Amino acid sequence: MRITDTAIDAVRVAVSSVTDPEYPDLNIQQLGILEDVVADSASIRVDLVPTILGCPALDVIEKDVVAAARALGYDVTVRFCMSPVWTPNRISEDARQILAEEYTVAIRPREGPTKCPLCGCTALQPRSDVGGTACRSVEWCPDCRNPVEIVRSRQMGER
Amino acid sequence: MDEFEEFLDEGGMVEPNDDIPEAYRSAVFRFIEMHANSEYMGGLTERDWIPKAPGLHRKMTALAKTQDEIGHAHLLYMIAADLGVKTREEMITDLLEGRTHFHNVFHYRVHSWTDQIAVAYLVDAAALASQQAVFKNCSYGPYKRILRRVIAEEGFHMRNGEEMLLLMARGSDVQHQMMQESIDRWWLPSIQLFGPDSRPDDELLRWRIKSERNEDLRDRYIQKFVPQLLGGGFTIPDPGLRQDSDDGKWKISEIDWRPLKEIMRNGGPDSSRRISDARRAWYDAEWVRVALNAAAKADA
Repeated sequence: MRITDTAIDAVRVAVSSVTDPEYPDLNIQQLGILEDVVADSASIRVDLVPTILGCPALDVIEKDVVAAARALGYDVTVRFCMSPVWTPNRISEDARQILAEEYTVAIRPREGPTKCPLCGCTALQPRSDVGGTACRSVEWCPDCRNPVEIVRSRQMGER
Repeated sequence: MDEFEEFLDEGGMVEPNDDIPEAYRSAVFRFIEMHANSEYMGGLTERDWIPKAPGLHRKMTALAKTQDEIGHAHLLYMIAADLGVKTREEMITDLLEGRTHFHNVFHYRVHSWTDQIAVAYLVDAAALASQQAVFKNCSYGPYKRILRRVIAEEGFHMRNGEEMLLLMARGSDVQHQMMQESIDRWWLPSIQLFGPDSRPDDELLRWRIKSERNEDLRDRYIQKFVPQLLGGGFTIPDPGLRQDSDDGKWKISEIDWRPLKEIMRNGGPDSSRRISDARRAWYDAEWVRVALNAAAKADA
């Protein structure tokens, strides 16, 4: 089968809407997990960037990606890339808003203190470097008195 | 109190900085404490299976689920302690001394890997159904927010349970038989997780700490899981099970609630071993807490 640009585009659209198993209303495009869809000799390959190595959800994401492409009649292979490295910067603006409003999950800004997604307090208190999932840490908001989870970056030396 | 109930009836949300009537505070605290204890005990059960799980992939899943459950317990203990009724240490001590409660399903022994699958499939689904019902209309803000994430993560566990059950359903006769024996052991505890019928004046319902009656949740669960198990070629351990000819609904035999009553006194089949196991895990890790606290003091 010759792989056309139309086929690649169709697969890209289909797999971008695959949702994350732990955030059912966010897709892998919004979370910056989908890196690229490329022609790989005779087949189509979907490159994914895991948020964290050893993430237990990778298997499910791979299955869902393969199924989404197959629903359009395309067989794809999935490759998990070691490079580039995923960082929270890859999360889209709209996804940040959903994470904050729906899940009380914050992302550290490049500069300045992290804000409580509920009340905007900037004096969050660290509670645990790792939360229920390996990609989140836990802090406490002393103002509105809610736990806040923060998306961890796996860059060395960063929390 | 009338004013507060009116506020709740109109869909009001209660936040930690509000004026909270003591009766509500104490009810929501007890409910969250029980949930936190259950996540914690569930995490310890899951942990037991990390070394025993067949294959690296299953070990990774067991490890991730353990982390999830303990992480949920951590968040829940934070908001429970914030209610000011007990500190986290007091809640843990009460749990380890058998003075408080945790879900009935963690009072039974997990005998085999297929038992573990039955737990992932039947028990996690029952727990998820009851958490979803709490989330839907929950009046306590911090709890509702935590439930949002807990539900998303438990949904992922259930998918894992379904996948493992299907594998056994399609497996060899021996695997199928083992799975059946586990379903036979775990069916009734899963049904009992929803508890006996709700009292008509249940304050948890009136204050929207819960939003659905126990019997409604239980019935919905039965209507979903009976056909699924039968479809997988399994039987349900209930000689009185029948499908109503009028409405097509599945009816089960009258439930014997004696096991649940025993469990509420921490006198279930595996209660004392579970509690002493949790106690050992807690005191074995004492030195870690001591070291971390000393390091935190040195930094300050």
